[in-house]
Amino acid sequence: MLELCTAPPSAQPRRRIVVGIGEYAVSNDRASVIVTHALGSCIAVCVWDPAAKVAGLIHVLLPDSRINPSRAGEQPAAFADTGLPLLFRTAYEYGVDKKRCQVRLVGGADITRASGAGAGGAGDAGSVGKRNLLAVRSLLWRNGVLVQKEAVGGCEPRTVSMDVCDGSLQISSGGETVCRF
Amino acid sequence: MEATSPFNILIVDDSTMMRAMIKRAVKLSGVEVGTIHEAGNGQEALEILEQHRIGALFTDINMPVMTGTELLRQVAARGWTHIISVIVSTDGSSARREEVRDLDVRLYVEKPFAPEAIRDVLAEVCH
Repeated sequence: MLELCTAPPSAQPRRRIVVGIGEYAVSNDRASVIVTHALGSCIAVCVWDPAAKVAGLIHVLLPDSRINPSRAGEQPAAFADTGLPLLFRTAYEYGVDKKRCQVRLVGGADITRASGAGAGGAGDAGSVGKRNLLAVRSLLWRNGVLVQKEAVGGCEPRTVSMDVCDGSLQISSGGETVCRF
Repeated sequence: MEATSPFNILIVDDSTMMRAMIKRAVKLSGVEVGTIHEAGNGQEALEILEQHRIGALFTDINMPVMTGTELLRQVAARGWTHIISVIVSTDGSSARREEVRDLDVRLYVEKPFAPEAIRDVLAEVCH
């Protein structure tokens, strides 16, 4: 998902740009908030350029597009290796500068611990969360980007809201705000 | 003038890959530093320290020729109190930490570490 917003800041109510699983959004509409829900083992990579006042967020489902190339073709943002380049390229088109860019990570939880499910199986979501985090961090490192802050791991699903106006993040879990940064 | 002296860094590790990783993390950190020197062991590090003014020393512990612990003893013996010492080691045991407790070690980073850990250390030692 790509938002093309050019409206100047105003006193109008905050517009919510909802990013689904395997989607992304970039916006410079300072009246908007980018929101993504149901971050379990998934990772939200949030980028913010304080000078350009541009915010971007991607909801990464899996680490590697080789797992499902056909899906990667249809929905590249679902995978870290195809989604992150897409997010950054779009952000650069909006005027984001890599040197100014602040990157924050949210998610990568081990939701099997919360549900009491066993670990270690082929569908082990805990290891998916760790693999997602590893893939994202590795891609960022290889591209010369350090993570400013992160709220990752644990066993609870998260929702994250990113204010396009100031880049601030609000992270909630179970309906309650757990942290802001 | 001291106030305008560049904050030079010395990275001491027998792994060239590890030195390269720390060096890259320093460069990406956004913290302004001067020259980044490298040494493969404590003895090489001492030779660099004799020749250059170093602000912060990132050293491994287990190295051939001269260990990081011995290097820190030599730094202390020479009275180089201006050097901020940071240990970057796989050995984070309490016994090892106790061994260097009296050697004015500012921070201890355990391997493996996220590159952001180096940035956070730099931000702390440069302020």
